[in-house]
Amino acid sequence: MSVTLRIILIVCSLISFILVVRKIKQTKLKVTDCIIWILGSILLIFMSIFSNVVVWISEKLGFAAPVNFVFFMMIVFLLVEAFHHNMKISLLNEKIKNLNHYIALKEKEEKK
Amino acid sequence: MKVLLIIPAYNEALNIEKTIQDITTNTNYDYLVINDCSKDNTKEICEKNQFPYLSLPINFGLASGIQLGMKYAYQKNYDIVIQFDGDGQHQAKYIQNLVDEIEKKNCDIAIGSRFVTKKKPFSLRMLGNTLISFCIKMTTGVTIRDTTSGMRAYDKIAIEEFVKNSNSTPEPDTIVYFMKKGMQVKEVQVEMSEREFGESYFNVWKSIEYMFNMIFSILFIQIFTKKRKENKKCQ
Repeated sequence: MSVTLRIILIVCSLISFILVVRKIKQTKLKVTDCIIWILGSILLIFMSIFSNVVVWISEKLGFAAPVNFVFFMMIVFLLVEAFHHNMKISLLNEKIKNLNHYIALKEKEEKK
Repeated sequence: MKVLLIIPAYNEALNIEKTIQDITTNTNYDYLVINDCSKDNTKEICEKNQFPYLSLPINFGLASGIQLGMKYAYQKNYDIVIQFDGDGQHQAKYIQNLVDEIEKKNCDIAIGSRFVTKKKPFSLRMLGNTLISFCIKMTTGVTIRDTTSGMRAYDKIAIEEFVKNSNSTPEPDTIVYFMKKGMQVKEVQVEMSEREFGESYFNVWKSIEYMFNMIFSILFIQIFTKKRKENKKCQ
């Protein structure tokens, strides 16, 4: 892995790490919801520091270049996150809908 | 049998009074307007005329409105629920035919169809209708001519399914799902008029999106639901 890529990875992970911590301090994020981002940025730092591990794994798995493996890992991570969010949105939607129904039914009951 | 008419209304201030008048002159059944957080004064009109209504604080779409009506019907122990549009397209004089069909135990769901005895006109609008019809024929073997009709009667089994399964919507894919669960579906000839006031929710893109969603849902998702052999009614 080239030095430039390693520096970019470190910078990116540091920025995301700082951003997450700041948002938690401003109570705009719940800690339990953003552990995944902190873990992700730690993983990125690890990948850029111990790049020979990445090179070794990518060679064993048959990737043309180690950088492909890094991107592959990121894409998998993002896809999993996107799916997870999709599920959460569906769940929240369902909850709001039920609340909506509950309010409408309650309102009618109280009018009597 | 206790019958409830559910009238989902979103921005139907211009049509709702006429619709209710049509219902009260032609039938004696209970009805319930479901105001899906209309931006106009639909709610005030219901209040003023003392129509029985439920008013949702957040706009959530047709499916949610019907589900709320089903919940209400389930709580109040209604036997038949009829979905009836508030825009004046449906005519109340045909409601009795739908109720009769269910009361005679001919079916669990009666669809008010425009094309049982009459031929379907060939237009772009009906193309989607025909496509969905074809998909239903392929997956269940049952011919339903007017798939997108919004005038439907549901019996107690269907009401219960609506309450328990939040994926139930008043759309053709749910009809397919219900058929796979062993419910019988019949079509009853009705006539529908064009809407007088207000705008339909569907424009060209919405229609295409709707068609795509329905076909996808019927062909790919419903196939994976297990077919129940025995009919609940026979138990």
